Amino acid sequence: MDPISAGREILNGLKKSGIDLIATLPDINLFELLSLVEQDGEIIHVPLCREEEGIGVCAGGYLVGKKGALIMQNGGLYNSVNGIVSTLLQYQIPALLLVYYAGDIGDRNFSTTGAMTEPVLKGLGIRYYVLRDPEQAAELIHRAQVLAEDSRLPVAILLTREALGHRPPLRV
Amino acid sequence: MQRFECLKILAAHAGDALVVTSAGANNVEWNALRPSDGNFRVRTLGLASSIALGMALGLPRRKIICLDGDGSLLMNLCALPTIARMNPKNLIHIVFDNEVYEASGSGRTATGYGTDLVAMARAAGIRRAVWARTVEEFAQAAIPALKENELTFIGAKVDTTRAEVPPYPVDEVENKYRFIRHIEKTENIAILKKNLPASYLK
Repeated sequence: MDPISAGREILNGLKKSGIDLIATLPDINLFELLSLVEQDGEIIHVPLCREEEGIGVCAGGYLVGKKGALIMQNGGLYNSVNGIVSTLLQYQIPALLLVYYAGDIGDRNFSTTGAMTEPVLKGLGIRYYVLRDPEQAAELIHRAQVLAEDSRLPVAILLTREALGHRPPLRV
Repeated sequence: MQRFECLKILAAHAGDALVVTSAGANNVEWNALRPSDGNFRVRTLGLASSIALGMALGLPRRKIICLDGDGSLLMNLCALPTIARMNPKNLIHIVFDNEVYEASGSGRTATGYGTDLVAMARAAGIRRAVWARTVEEFAQAAIPALKENELTFIGAKVDTTRAEVPPYPVDEVENKYRFIRHIEKTENIAILKKNLPASYLK
């Protein structure tokens, strides 16, 4: 699947799950998805300067009836940790975290960033699921959103390069 | 100028505005003056303005007031360009600048050394951004902002005086539930829904 089609699968999954507020910060692998979010007329799109802001934006939106998602790189997840702990976890506020899995197997750069991603999520007690096949995006996003709302906690989906329609850099 | 004097003016004119208070000392004073389930006390230093932005975008017809502090805003300065970019007309961002980290031992912040938060807000793109150095100036800035529909940033230079007020009445989770129930009631919407047990589902 190409990046535009993969982005469309993910965005459709978000919209079908009721997500209507999306805060984002760019990563080159998220380019197509974020372009689709920006062009979508129904979703409130908040382009951020730093990812932790997005934790606040999603939390504020939730408190007044919106369903928020934050799309960012895993480096942005690290930038967000204080907000995740002392706002989302402390108040028991759900949010969907769509995290580009930089440094995952098949990605050439950021291997240290990749190595810390799952341990950080585990340390925070955040349940997370890895998406590799864009065709499964809508179903996984829906389940994750139901889980977030039921548990009143953030739930993360790790988006690999393949999930975003990008080929791994090295192919046999 | 004392923060409590400014808050009194605000409480007299705030109506049913939703008020987000920063992690700092202003939340107890505000809640003493206007006790309401429409008050939300933030515990993450810096995030009050971002949470208020999320509320303002989610409820564009409701006035949202963020009561921030200098230490808090300094930790999340990038909120300013984001707020300017989104330009929510129903948001009033008030920063009580006492030049110290009041809630954590009163060490001095950068604003005591020349950092101008109103100039930063303006430079970030928030056109209506003013300083208030007297109670009269605060009233002149805040009262019209409550009536009009324009994104407003007010820097209020205050001393470090604290008012004698009771502690915050609820914990974080109760604050959340009360706030959401308040929104459900006043906006006539359902936010917290519980499903029937599986045996009821066909």
